[in-house]
Amino acid sequence: MDDLRELLEDFLIEAFEMIEEMDQDLVELENNPDDLELLNKIFRVAHTIKGSGSFLNFDKLTHLTHHMEAVLDKARKGELKITPEIMDVILESVDAMKAILEYIRDNGDDSSPDVEIDSIVKKLDAIVNGNVSNSSSEKENEEESKTVGGMSLEDINPDNLDELDLSSLSPEELDQVLDKLVEDMNTSPEEEGIEEVNEISEENEEVQKEETLSEPKKEENNVPAKKETSTQMTKENQKKELQKKIVSTKEQTIRVDVKRLDQLMNLIGELVLAKNRLIKIYNDVEERYEGEKFLEELNQVVSSISIVTTDLQIAVMKTRMLPIGKVFNKFPRLVRDLARELGKKVRLIIEGEDTELDKSIIEEIGDPLVHMIRNAIDHGIEPPEDRIKAGKPEEGTIWLKAYNEGNMIVIEIKDDGRGMDPEILKQKAIEKGIITPQEAENMSDKEAFMLIFKPGFSTAAKITNVSGRGVGMDVVKTNIEKLNGIIEVDSIPGKGSTFKLKIPLTLAIIQALLVASQEDLFAVPLSNVIETVRIVEEDIYTIEGRSVLKLRDEVLPLVNMADIFNIEKILMPEKYLYVVILGLGATKIGLIVDRFIGQEEIVIKSLGEFLKGLPGIAGATIRGDGRVTLIVDVASLMNLAKETHNKKLVTDSINEAKKKKEKPSDYNVLIVDDSAMDRKIMHQALDELGVNVIEAKDGMEALNLLKQNDIDAMLIDIEMPRMDGYTLAQEIRKYNKYRKLPLIAVTSRATKADRVRGVEVGMDEYITKPYTKEYLQNVIRRNLKL
Amino acid sequence: MAGLNDIIKKQQEALHQPEDEKVEEVEQLVGFIVGEEEFAVPILAIQEIIKPIEWTRVPFVPDYVLGVFNLRGNVLPLIDLRKKFGAPSAEIDENTRFIVMKIKGEDVAFVIDRLTSAIRIPKKSILPPPETYTNEDDIIEGVGRLDDGRIITILKVDNLIRREEIVPDKD
Repeated sequence: MDDLRELLEDFLIEAFEMIEEMDQDLVELENNPDDLELLNKIFRVAHTIKGSGSFLNFDKLTHLTHHMEAVLDKARKGELKITPEIMDVILESVDAMKAILEYIRDNGDDSSPDVEIDSIVKKLDAIVNGNVSNSSSEKENEEESKTVGGMSLEDINPDNLDELDLSSLSPEELDQVLDKLVEDMNTSPEEEGIEEVNEISEENEEVQKEETLSEPKKEENNVPAKKETSTQMTKENQKKELQKKIVSTKEQTIRVDVKRLDQLMNLIGELVLAKNRLIKIYNDVEERYEGEKFLEELNQVVSSISIVTTDLQIAVMKTRMLPIGKVFNKFPRLVRDLARELGKKVRLIIEGEDTELDKSIIEEIGDPLVHMIRNAIDHGIEPPEDRIKAGKPEEGTIWLKAYNEGNMIVIEIKDDGRGMDPEILKQKAIEKGIITPQEAENMSDKEAFMLIFKPGFSTAAKITNVSGRGVGMDVVKTNIEKLNGIIEVDSIPGKGSTFKLKIPLTLAIIQALLVASQEDLFAVPLSNVIETVRIVEEDIYTIEGRSVLKLRDEVLPLVNMADIFNIEKILMPEKYLYVVILGLGATKIGLIVDRFIGQEEIVIKSLGEFLKGLPGIAGATIRGDGRVTLIVDVASLMNLAKETHNKKLVTDSINEAKKKKEKPSDYNVLIVDDSAMDRKIMHQALDELGVNVIEAKDGMEALNLLKQNDIDAMLIDIEMPRMDGYTLAQEIRKYNKYRKLPLIAVTSRATKADRVRGVEVGMDEYITKPYTKEYLQNVIRRNLKL
Repeated sequence: MAGLNDIIKKQQEALHQPEDEKVEEVEQLVGFIVGEEEFAVPILAIQEIIKPIEWTRVPFVPDYVLGVFNLRGNVLPLIDLRKKFGAPSAEIDENTRFIVMKIKGEDVAFVIDRLTSAIRIPKKSILPPPETYTNEDDIIEGVGRLDDGRIITILKVDNLIRREEIVPDKD
């Protein structure tokens, strides 16, 4: 019963919204009677309300809209010109529609004894039949003998309202008076009448306000000024306003424009960024001032801000959350109808309909679910006779479950039908040319199940109008991927299938894995990261000219992220390679990156009109240090990766950066020392090795030379003007590409503290003066691996 | 006393002068150098002018799109006008500035070599771009000759970048 109630509520919200729009459209139509697009729009609204109304058995409403639709249909076909007289009748019927809908809202059925539609229907019919009746036959007022505030309700009209003591009326009575006045307004043909009702409406609003405040009334003061403002449109709006005012006192909830919530969400996003920044700063400060008292206090502030921010974020997210029951509720009916149509017996068990999801996701999830449920009934559940033969209960069962799992929501669609045979699926796919026999051989059962999501794949032997067009499941996959979701399929032939849709709770703030490809950082949505692994070059296999990674029992395509985004390779390859295993829907790939930075909560920002929609990029985020990091669009990246995978071997790509350096003269060593004497000593020693030598007098000069030349090692003095050796080393280590550059301190400062400082700033070796020529040469040889 | 009178006189002249110019319809521009040439854009098109800050490279874009950067929580594209105009690229120095302009409702930043001055120029002194100019993208509004003999190229801000040139159409 509750399901029906919700359905009804949805219908009413939708219907009221549509009618409100229709009011405006009709008025606009009167000005442009030839606007076919507008006419079509209005026609569709009438049609939709008729359709939904008949579905919910509102005969009176259907009857009325049916006749109205007939008029609009004629106008739309150009057989009828919308004259103001006809428009009057149409508007009248719209008002009657509204009245019926309001009655439905309050009472749950459409008997609405107060609304009399026969005369309107007659007029509508007359229009359709070609004789436009004069709209002079005014609508009869039904409430005859009622009296309010000492006056007969029938006698109340805009002119004598002043005589009525409004403040003495009960809310119900006031309601009636308003209805009466509104009714009068709608039926009175002259402009003047409308204007006057307008005033009255203003007054009444005021009266109502005053009533609630129990203050003396003084309505007359406001009357004269409002004369000119009314138009036909405001008539409708006024009425709506009045109704709203009356209804609003009963409601416990408020409806908020989604835009406002989005704005709030944006602000929270900013806050999250600021919080991340604060945490980063705190970490820096903590390192520098370890053990200081104020750290404890700072820590408390930072933690409490971060807790409050998180709570606030969740609270705002919750305002956008709707129970998934909203989507689930339409399925019992769908299942019943479909089962009957297909001659099957199906029971639907729904669980977890209270599970909440972001509104935008709720809107997107409906269609994919419809497809999947249709599929389960059509392909999954067998006809009763087959089921009995297979020893199963005659009635098939479909479970529709929703539950939370970490940051994801899982929607599970399970049936106890015939299940899927991976071998048959593979065979079909080969027949249809979707995969090659070789590919089929290497395919796991899970991968085989995912074939059903390929475009052009359909397992149904005969194509029904329910499913089997081979379109549905493909669309499902695309829609789920749009939401950053994953699909998992499991099936046992003869026992049934299980589909799991895993979808992130919200779209605006996500958890991401930050990775570096060469020197560029990227954020990968964590929901698509299955795992991260560290491999060596020997783990990479080449099959049919493509690089793959064998990971446990799976073989994954392997692509270097730098190749996908055409990033110049400047880093020397290292012993270990870092791989992110990305999963999207059923596809998995291994993505080689150069470094893992870590996991972070990020706020998705658009790249703006000019840059949005770049391949592989979903947007950007601003990180704690204020820099912009691009967010990877996993679906698009997967496609790019497939292209790259066919073109480029990872093993080639990794070695691209390896420069061919064989002889000592291929290497450049930079000497940094302010003493010309010391530089000369080092220079001579290095000349004997045969390497090229470049000299710099201080840290600043060295830094510039480093950027201009391809330097393989540096010898650095500590005491120097402008920039000392420690600072220089620190500066150099800030660049990713110099992370591995050998930095050798050459100094007379020999205390333990000096050495420790050297290690801290990133020196690799520490040579104390004086040193022997051989020792220096050995150190250089070792560092250049000569 | 004479000095004071002079000042008052001057002030009055200064007060009256703009009005005369208004009658003549004056265009207010901001001039800047890119490569060898001086350009100008209407002052009202400019949101702000900032010193260079770090940006992030973006893949699959023409070379004149340097990337994106963070301006107080908004992500803005950064366009190198030298590359856009086919001039040799230069290092960023202490004169380099980012000019943030609103194009089709979106803020976009442009790298310029240095600012010159605010310019007031009567509309009649702005001539259409000469035939010899390569103005394929319709990015030049006109050419203005200033009183001191400088010649400036006035840019059509709205045409400086186009989405279809930056993001390839799908398929």
